[in-house]
Amino acid sequence: MKRCITLIILSGLVMVLAAGPVDAQGPIKIGFFAPLTGFAAADGASAKHSAEIAVDEINGAGGIKGRKLELVVYDDRHDSKEAVAVANKLIEKDQVVGVVSGSYSMPSRVTAPIFAKAGVPMTVAYAVHPDVTKAGPCVFRNGFLGQVEGAAGAESAVKIQKARRIAVLTVDNDFGRVASAAFIERAKKLGAEIHSEQVYKLGEKEFGPYLTKIKDEPIDLIYHTSYYNEGSQIARKARELGIKAALEGTEGIDSPKFLELAGPAAEGVTFTTNLNRDDPRPEVQNFLKRYQAKAGTGADMVGASAYDAVRILARGIEAGGTEAKAICGALTGLRDYHGITGKITRFVKGEVTKPVQIQIVKDGKVRSFAVIDNPEVITPPVQ
Amino acid sequence: MSLLLQQLVNGLTIGSLYALMALGLTMVYGVLRVLHIAHAAVFTLGAYGGLWTFAATGSFWLALLGAMAIAVAAGLAMERWVYWPLLAKPPIATLIASIGVFIALEEVYRIVAGPEPHAFSVPLRVRDVRLAGVLVTAPQVLVMAVTVALLVALWLFLTRTSLGLAVRAVSQDREMAAACAMNVRRIVSLNFALGSALAGAAGMLVGVYYNSVSPTMGDVTAYKGLAIIVLGGLGSIPGTVLGALLIGIVETLFIGLIEFPFPRDAWAFLAMIAVFLLRPQGLLGR
Amino acid sequence: MYLLTVATLVAIYTMLTLGLNTITGLAGQISLGHAAFFGVGAYTTAILTVRYGWPFWPALLAAVMAAAAVGAIIGAAAIRVREDFLAITTMGVNFVVVSVFLYFPFFGGALGIGGIPGPRLLGHDVARPGFLVLTVAGVVTALAVNLWLSRSWAGLALQALREDEEAARAAAVDVRKFKILAFTIGTGLAGLAGAFYASFLTFISAGDFGFSFSITVLCMLVFGGLGTNRGAIAGATVLGAAPELFRFLADYRMLTYGALLLVLMRFQPAGLLGDDSALWRALRRR
Repeated sequence: MKRCITLIILSGLVMVLAAGPVDAQGPIKIGFFAPLTGFAAADGASAKHSAEIAVDEINGAGGIKGRKLELVVYDDRHDSKEAVAVANKLIEKDQVVGVVSGSYSMPSRVTAPIFAKAGVPMTVAYAVHPDVTKAGPCVFRNGFLGQVEGAAGAESAVKIQKARRIAVLTVDNDFGRVASAAFIERAKKLGAEIHSEQVYKLGEKEFGPYLTKIKDEPIDLIYHTSYYNEGSQIARKARELGIKAALEGTEGIDSPKFLELAGPAAEGVTFTTNLNRDDPRPEVQNFLKRYQAKAGTGADMVGASAYDAVRILARGIEAGGTEAKAICGALTGLRDYHGITGKITRFVKGEVTKPVQIQIVKDGKVRSFAVIDNPEVITPPVQ
Repeated sequence: MSLLLQQLVNGLTIGSLYALMALGLTMVYGVLRVLHIAHAAVFTLGAYGGLWTFAATGSFWLALLGAMAIAVAAGLAMERWVYWPLLAKPPIATLIASIGVFIALEEVYRIVAGPEPHAFSVPLRVRDVRLAGVLVTAPQVLVMAVTVALLVALWLFLTRTSLGLAVRAVSQDREMAAACAMNVRRIVSLNFALGSALAGAAGMLVGVYYNSVSPTMGDVTAYKGLAIIVLGGLGSIPGTVLGALLIGIVETLFIGLIEFPFPRDAWAFLAMIAVFLLRPQGLLGR
Repeated sequence: MYLLTVATLVAIYTMLTLGLNTITGLAGQISLGHAAFFGVGAYTTAILTVRYGWPFWPALLAAVMAAAAVGAIIGAAAIRVREDFLAITTMGVNFVVVSVFLYFPFFGGALGIGGIPGPRLLGHDVARPGFLVLTVAGVVTALAVNLWLSRSWAGLALQALREDEEAARAAAVDVRKFKILAFTIGTGLAGLAGAFYASFLTFISAGDFGFSFSITVLCMLVFGGLGTNRGAIAGATVLGAAPELFRFLADYRMLTYGALLLVLMRFQPAGLLGDDSALWRALRRR
């Protein structure tokens, strides 16, 4: 009997002792959500691949203070209810120390308050809606605000490409509306004339009616907020109708899919984005190579942003530890971070001031065209 | 004036694609009185089938045949394993089964071919046509030409062959046709085959016209197709063609001419609801 | 917290299936646009609380009434059509309503409406567990309404309608009034669910209320057992919670869904717990 009890107590002690160190040596879990199924699945896949590359690199270099980083990945299906369930799951079941949004604006927007309430720091790869960072002091956005991108597009169109009369095609979602509005405001300020703004639905394929209307007008440039599906249709139809105006898009068309679907019509198209494929820095070129090897296609803005968002969070954990408040403090105090999508001087209310890359399709490849770094344009409108 | 004509050309092209797609729906409704929502999956399968055949043969026409053949096979399979067995059950069962097939098939396409769109570029041998100051682009010429050819073929079949006469008889009154010792089952299958063939052609044409084949490409056309066949008159083939062209034109004009700020896809349904309130049997229905 | 989230969502789904059961189950009318009324309720709540500072409870009442009012109008239009026509009409209504939410800035347009506050009880904000209790109370209310309706004179008439509309008409049952009543009550319940949904998610946008969600709700009801309240509850619970339980199957979820619907309709149209289902009969034998 006595031996039994001793055995039990001893095994209990062993378990407790074993459990202790095991926990401390276990991997550091960070959450990650993206639209892995549904209409946005291609972007979700790109974000996921890139996040995994980032984690592999960190772990390959020894992890964070000796501990491995573990990515807990969930599919939000670009659905609010799903995103909410995923957020709660990450907080409660997986108990992640931080989370990366590799998703669009809607899932990011609906989950940011949930993470904020739970005190879990969040980095946002590329979602553009202004409300995302307003959810709390621990939400940090790597990408551009829609307003910044639109304004930068106007700089490129009017100042650099010298367009005087511009027609705008706006995709009817938060991203499209915000970016187009900013573009129009800035373009007018710079002295250009906006011929028209036409709004079309997300997923539209038939642009004949829209483009026929401006076909015979003296338009220098067509600015379109779109994703690669619609953007490629716009480019194709414009060329099919014989429209000679220049075409400028946004980060939505920053994808090898745009080139594939637009075919020869992609030639000469410019777009605003945060990834410069001609960036000579080794970290950028390495990422591009690794992504190509892993996914079989060229990298895009979504992937590069997700990569940076993961590494930024990892930097916060490295500097601050695994305690949420400390990570938050570390990220707030982050200075001069060189991401592959540009240098982040600091976060102001969760937003970055980063130069906007203008890329162009030349000879079937995406090359650098210009960089917009006018502080008036690229400073996000937050106090 | 020339803008109006130009937009009419756009509208007719879009309407032609709608017509090819919707005809299958109306033909199935005509003989079985069921809403064949899974028809949209047949449409998409035609696009993938055409893409695959084109990759294998390099010929547009062979690919078109391939698209139609694969679509027919799928349509017949659905008729055999889904619709015919459910005939005796209440219509909601068939409707739900059809939705189930549609959802499942779209997912199969996604899992097999991937969620991203595939390009479907075909070197066109037609050229742009200019007529009285109006431009009809090469792809538009192709779409309208193929549509006209298929519709003429269908019309000839229905009016000049005895089989076609049988199809029309069954669609008018299935029980009566059976009483006249017609092999109703075979006619029903034939209807599925014809409708599916058209849908398969439509799918491939849409894929080529927009240079994009994706698993969900059938979604909007599925819903719109239903609105169109109601507008035209359930079961009426000429009604469907008319309805399709009308919707194509209305959508185009409200975007490209009158600029009434209302989402494009809602027009088809508004038109449908309007027809309901004013003329429930549709434009050319009985 | 996570379990609370899932449970609350399931409760909201159940209110939806119960409401749909009133329309489709009790009165035999097919609605493919239930999500639109869900949306009317959600947006009413959102606008009243966020823009006009209403407290939650009056906004909830307004949401129910708004959804019911729209339902009454649709119901009135529905009397001019039957069966398949109605299915497409409700589908069309879904599209139009969602388009309106998306298009007009009054409804937040593409940006949706955020910052929706939660309910307050006795001067305190209701916390998550309390919110779950409230939603369960909503479910109980919906259930009570359905039971009352089926046992009342109106309910018997509706049953007659479902069995055979012609015969019911012959027996001088006022078909019109009951169709409208069924729609109104069912859509009112959807509005109730919408109010809870808006408050729970704190942010809504038009995409939440599209046709595919209408189908999801219909599928839950059919899976559970069309025409029965227990079926509505079972369907919403199983299919609402299943995605969480089967997260590892995530990529195949919709495929399983579609296949399930097809298989059910072929072999067990009464669903899980419908009047004729194998499971129900087995349970009754005990």
